[in-house]
Amino acid sequence: MSGAAQADTLHLLADVASDFAKPDPARVRALRDAGGRLDREMWAQIAANGWIGIAVPEHAGGAGLGLEAVAIVARRLGYAGFPEPYVAAAVLAPQLLAASARPAAVELLERTLAGEALCAVAWQGPNGGLGPEATAVSLESGRLRGEARFLGLADADSYLVAAREGDGLSFHLVPADADGLSAVDEQRADGTADVRINLAGVSPEECILDAGEGAAALAGSVDAARVAVSAELVGLLERALEMTLEFMRQRQQFGRPIGSQQALQHRAVDAWIQAQLAAAALDAAIAVFEDGGAAASRRAAAASSAKSRASQAATGICNEALQMHGAIGFTDEYDLGLYVNRALALSPWLGGAGEHRRRYADLVDIAGEGRAS
Amino acid sequence: MSGGFGVVQEQDWDALGDEEFRQLVRAWVEANYPEELRFPPGRLLWSQQGEWVRALARKGWIAPGWPLEFGGMGLSPVKQVIFAQEFERFGVARFQDHGITQVGPIIMSFGSPEQRAQWLPPILAAEHIWAQGYSEPEAGSDLASLRTRARRDGDEYVVDGQKIWTTLAHDATHIYVLVRTDPKAPKPQAGISFLLADLASPGITVRPIRDIAGHSELCEVFFDGVRVPVANRIGEENKGWTIAKSLLGHERINVGSPKQPGYALEMVVAVARERGLLEEPVFRDRLAALQLDVAHLGDAYARYTAMLARGEQIGPDVSMLKIWATETVAAIADLIIEAGGDAGGLAGKVALGSTEIDVLGAYYKARPAMVYAGSNEIQRNIIATAVLGLPRG
Repeated sequence: MSGAAQADTLHLLADVASDFAKPDPARVRALRDAGGRLDREMWAQIAANGWIGIAVPEHAGGAGLGLEAVAIVARRLGYAGFPEPYVAAAVLAPQLLAASARPAAVELLERTLAGEALCAVAWQGPNGGLGPEATAVSLESGRLRGEARFLGLADADSYLVAAREGDGLSFHLVPADADGLSAVDEQRADGTADVRINLAGVSPEECILDAGEGAAALAGSVDAARVAVSAELVGLLERALEMTLEFMRQRQQFGRPIGSQQALQHRAVDAWIQAQLAAAALDAAIAVFEDGGAAASRRAAAASSAKSRASQAATGICNEALQMHGAIGFTDEYDLGLYVNRALALSPWLGGAGEHRRRYADLVDIAGEGRAS
Repeated sequence: MSGGFGVVQEQDWDALGDEEFRQLVRAWVEANYPEELRFPPGRLLWSQQGEWVRALARKGWIAPGWPLEFGGMGLSPVKQVIFAQEFERFGVARFQDHGITQVGPIIMSFGSPEQRAQWLPPILAAEHIWAQGYSEPEAGSDLASLRTRARRDGDEYVVDGQKIWTTLAHDATHIYVLVRTDPKAPKPQAGISFLLADLASPGITVRPIRDIAGHSELCEVFFDGVRVPVANRIGEENKGWTIAKSLLGHERINVGSPKQPGYALEMVVAVARERGLLEEPVFRDRLAALQLDVAHLGDAYARYTAMLARGEQIGPDVSMLKIWATETVAAIADLIIEAGGDAGGLAGKVALGSTEIDVLGAYYKARPAMVYAGSNEIQRNIIATAVLGLPRG
């Protein structure tokens, strides 16, 4: 696609996304109160919009619109406060599947893009972590053993399980109802359900990435997902800030709007500056990913840069939003809390502000001491 | 290409590609800027850098942002940013450039043809060096409350009062001043006029102020019955406030360049290396946070330069660059001092391990930067009302 045609397509996508994803707090609360499982109807619509695997290359069956398109959708879903596991199920899993040319992966990717299959990447062990060293499942004698956590959704019908195999990392397709697999739900801060799975000698259905391929494919997909979740956080913090500014204009105390108080104005400006920095870091990261020649380490640094700022800004802005709103902000009746809880759920996921700050510093290695890993 | 006031440009710079232009500026600056003046710790005096500025003027490059018809280079906003970046990159010291950046553009916009012909050529020739007479002892952030009085006496104004924080007034030839011409105006802003004065006029006394870094870049300027021709007033009487406020725009973007914070980061790394802190986890984490603060300043700055490239107007939100750039440098400056350990308390270039470093240099640059050109609190007030739509207090 030419640059101009791509720009037109993205412009249109942004319009469609704004029309489609309107804040709907009643739906969010209803889903949460029913256990935080997937809204199948909404997921089907997201699939119908063509938003699953929107960055997957055209030769692999995707729209090939790049991470910029992913960010447009994720940012809007964040702004609207949607609880859908867009990044986990529509970005991370398809990106990983697209890295494999094996027939089982190709077939599963096709069904995933159509919204017929829902898969989740199970790569982190119980203590989490940023890279392949976090994996706590191993493949021995053809059996998978270990635990995986922080998948980002609880409703997957199949898992892409990372397994240590010698010095390498391989990926295996495992149906959710496989023998020897048990799953326990974990509730995230926003009430959405995540899952923790235990594999006690599970026979994988298919190997989709072998021990020599898995680590690089994981790094590429997870870093893309980090940029996507940064976009979701940026959308979310933009809405939280907007609600706060509206409140500051309206709320009268001592005979004038609280937003006319300089002490509060300056705090609002500082929050807004953090929002600007998060959006700028996001744009810069997207540009690195869109640059086909960028090395994996540059992409990794860009993803950490964006995620560190987005996580920090989202939690910081939500904290300020709560304080500015006063007691009303802490009630479940008021919508701000939905954003606060979503920020609490997403900020640590795939690595929080501090972890990514340190990863960025190691990758960029300002001191030139050769510590880059 | 011959432009206004006999200034000749070697070519149409805007016809060049951005990268070609950048290389051309870089090559000329590297070939012509005196090595010993690179990256000076404080502002230089005219006796030190006048020769270089005159060379810049002879090249026709003293006024990059001015239109060709007024003797400038006629650069697009994007090329102006490139031009500034190349000067900054090579460590070219800023000269007393208010004639170019402030009073010149004001005369172009608000001056009569006679005033333009009188005042612009000596600025272009680096003969007139201008200082800014805005702040007063009782009028800092609240500038509109200024009290320096100008009374009309025939074809002249008689000016009495005091200006302060006048950068390099002792090294300038002229001063542009905001004066009160109507003390009874309904609003303080409505009684202010904009005058041009020769600093050699009888009745003007300039007294340098020594700052806490030991430099004397700032001055007090006293006006005692100073006679200024009415012909030296720019714009209408009592319309000076509007004129002074008109100078917003793309030049403010340069304040937000990530270069200064980048230098400060290099310095903190140099200090930390000598003191063996680079592997210390707490220090590394603090450094990483500041690295990202600088990186994201760069990302935000790039968004504004991209807006310029698309020909878009820059709004008041650009003030965020000033706030973030200066406060980031200040935070880095504090870390440099802390990293220096006991040596963090020593003035000037200090022996640290195998090298010599001015550990307080960044601090003494960072602190005033948060105050001048509209304190960061004033910038926040502007963003709060003009960008965030919060009600005025």
